[in-house]
Amino acid sequence: MGEVILTMKGIDKSFPGVHALDHVNFEVRKGEVHALMGENGAGKSTLMKVLTGIYKKDSGTITYEGKETEFASPRDAQDAGVVIVHQELNMMGHLTVAQNIFIGREFMKGGIIDDARMNEETEKLFDKLHINIDPTKKMGKLTVGKQQMCEIAKAISQEAKVIVFDEPSAALTESEVEELFKIIRDIREKNLGIIYISHRIDEIKVITDRVTVMRDGGYVGTLITKECTKEDIIKMMVGRVIYEAPKQKSNVAKDAPVVLKVEHLNAGKLVRDVSFELRKGEILGFSGLMGAGRTETARVLFGADPKESGDIYINGRKVDIKTPMDAVAYGIGYLSEDRKRYGIVVEKSVAENSTMVALKNFMSGIFINKKKEKEVAEKYVEKLKIKTPGVEQLVVNLSGGNQQKVIIAKWLVKDSDILIFDEPTRGIDVGAKSEIYHLMNEFVTEGKSIIMISSEMAEILRMSDRIVVMCEGKKIGEIDISEATQEKIMSMATLRN
Amino acid sequence: MESIKNNPLVKRIGFNRLVLICVLILMYAAFAIISPTFLSYSRILSALSYAYFLGFLALGVTFVIGTAGIDFSIGPVMFCAALVSGQLLTKSGWPLILCLIVSIVVGLLFGTLNGFLVAYCHVPPFITSLAIMQISKGLGSVFTKAQSVSWPQATQKNGWYRYLVKAKIGGVEIPSGLIILLIVAVICSIILNKTKVGRNILCLGSNKEAVRLSGVNVKKWEMIAYIICGVLAGIAAIFFVGAYTTIQPGLGDQYNNEAIAGCVMGGTSMAGGVASIGGTVIGVMIIALLQEGILAMGFTKDYQLVITSIIVIIAVYADILSRRRKN
Repeated sequence: MGEVILTMKGIDKSFPGVHALDHVNFEVRKGEVHALMGENGAGKSTLMKVLTGIYKKDSGTITYEGKETEFASPRDAQDAGVVIVHQELNMMGHLTVAQNIFIGREFMKGGIIDDARMNEETEKLFDKLHINIDPTKKMGKLTVGKQQMCEIAKAISQEAKVIVFDEPSAALTESEVEELFKIIRDIREKNLGIIYISHRIDEIKVITDRVTVMRDGGYVGTLITKECTKEDIIKMMVGRVIYEAPKQKSNVAKDAPVVLKVEHLNAGKLVRDVSFELRKGEILGFSGLMGAGRTETARVLFGADPKESGDIYINGRKVDIKTPMDAVAYGIGYLSEDRKRYGIVVEKSVAENSTMVALKNFMSGIFINKKKEKEVAEKYVEKLKIKTPGVEQLVVNLSGGNQQKVIIAKWLVKDSDILIFDEPTRGIDVGAKSEIYHLMNEFVTEGKSIIMISSEMAEILRMSDRIVVMCEGKKIGEIDISEATQEKIMSMATLRN
Repeated sequence: MESIKNNPLVKRIGFNRLVLICVLILMYAAFAIISPTFLSYSRILSALSYAYFLGFLALGVTFVIGTAGIDFSIGPVMFCAALVSGQLLTKSGWPLILCLIVSIVVGLLFGTLNGFLVAYCHVPPFITSLAIMQISKGLGSVFTKAQSVSWPQATQKNGWYRYLVKAKIGGVEIPSGLIILLIVAVICSIILNKTKVGRNILCLGSNKEAVRLSGVNVKKWEMIAYIICGVLAGIAAIFFVGAYTTIQPGLGDQYNNEAIAGCVMGGTSMAGGVASIGGTVIGVMIIALLQEGILAMGFTKDYQLVITSIIVIIAVYADILSRRRKN
């Protein structure tokens, strides 16, 4: 490891209502691969956005090549030699490899783009990096792994001094990851500073020299990779104090019937051979990191996205769910993680939103019985303690927590027996949060069953009777709440298999 | 200002609609000053004739815009319906009542096709309706062998359909078209506000994915909006010939803009989810009066196109501004 090339010190950043970065320290040396780790929402991306000038820091200093710096934009950072290789690649599929690498700075010959020279230069560049790709090939024809190598080569050709890899291995196959590591080791030799963001602890152990761990927007610490174990890293990632007492043991009766059984569900990359059972009166927690495939599984189960294969049984009977209409008919309700986009109809009233699923029950002949609609809506406003001046109020005027309750009301009016709650308390204040927890507990006592997807460890431990942990589209395992710990869940969630 | 807005009567009618009514009255007064013929009863009746067919078109397109869609085929579909049914009436000797039904069926078929392509095949409404506009123009022309069709005059055989537009009772002309338009508007308003059809159309116009994830058959309801629009274009055809007799193939697109202008001016949002039938009726009255007024002031028909299109842009921009303020 060489001298320090980049130091971020005491970086602080707040957004309205969120303290996103709390005096974070981070440094990279020349010839070092430095991992940046943390759970969802730990602040890794925010820190990188501050580094590359997408966000402005509130306080703290960034020292780059010995000088205090603040980049005005990603472009500015790139010109100075700080480049991000994104998870989603920014390549033009219809252009050749060489054209992509020299985009925006093409070689010209008499006002015409000199493709021959660009191919030559690309060839030279690839030789240096031991990359074996034909520069005249169309980018769209390459695998994601090869495209990523092109992007790395492009960064090197721009004389990058610090390269940030944002989850570079997420879309790669095992052999592609091997190749990626070869290149990373190669550029480490060339004395570049490399920041490596990843959830995969096994990889971190293999490729990185140091690990910095963040948690809840704060800096936890930096370890030398060789000297620490996986368990050390996990402990730092999850080491927060959980204030709400976790559930001690499952509240589900031993002989409670299975209401939902999912077998070998497959759909795309993020739902791969997922099987699980949900019992009557149970809250089944789904834990995992971002991109683990939990929401995708829920959407396929609900018929919102098509499935490739797999069987679904409700109360022991095999069912065919092709659309949300089918799912609703079988008594399934779905609360999306993205309330605004998939949950509420903002320009409609509380009453209209809450009767949307079960509108059939409110018809008198061809007319909607608005009196009955109002009565029922008022009943649920009271039951769920929705704070609104009246049921005619447009949902757009309600707070996030109350909007969420309106969506819950919608499924209660339909009397759905199986509720899928996807991040039920995301973006909701503490008060409304505990009310929603209370309601969920009430529902299961009434005999309903809940699948709860949550990225919040505290929520998972507090609410679930049993926990399914997913990683990269696969179910890694199940833990009964009596045996669940943060460490156990996290080590399963970061497992690649 | 706030106290006016909170007056119960004003609230019931809607503040924006009251403003529109004032605009309508002021416009009428201005035209009456420029051209005193506007004060005559027969002149008012003729101005109203323009509002009937346009009103049916605009009522229909209100449903489509409510789904956050758009239909640029209504004018030509109306013409196609009038051509086909007129040809059957005058050349093939079909009974009048059957021809009126044919007109509505032609509108229904185009609306269904349009709705099917939009809702089930996910072709953008902009594209489908432009294509159907051309198809309806072409088919209308093919059906009449590129000839124009003249419907019978009131005094001729089979001329009674004209009483739908203007009837005479005891020597006094009464605007029967207005009465029918208002009845249909009331029915539309009931459909939009009191039935499942309207509820689901407006909800899906506001947030289609949320409605789909509520287990609602969004495809069906979206298609129904286009079907309603088509049927009303078929009805509009009857009122067009009832007022203007002759139909030429290959025309009709100018009425798209005029109907959409009336609808958007009345408070229906191009972003979908919000629609007002009452607003559409008043908006159409303004547009119709404007068309008559432009001609009365001595401008040519070309200015109608320019001014109506400018109104569309202003009305849509005003809607965008008011939404931005709300958010």
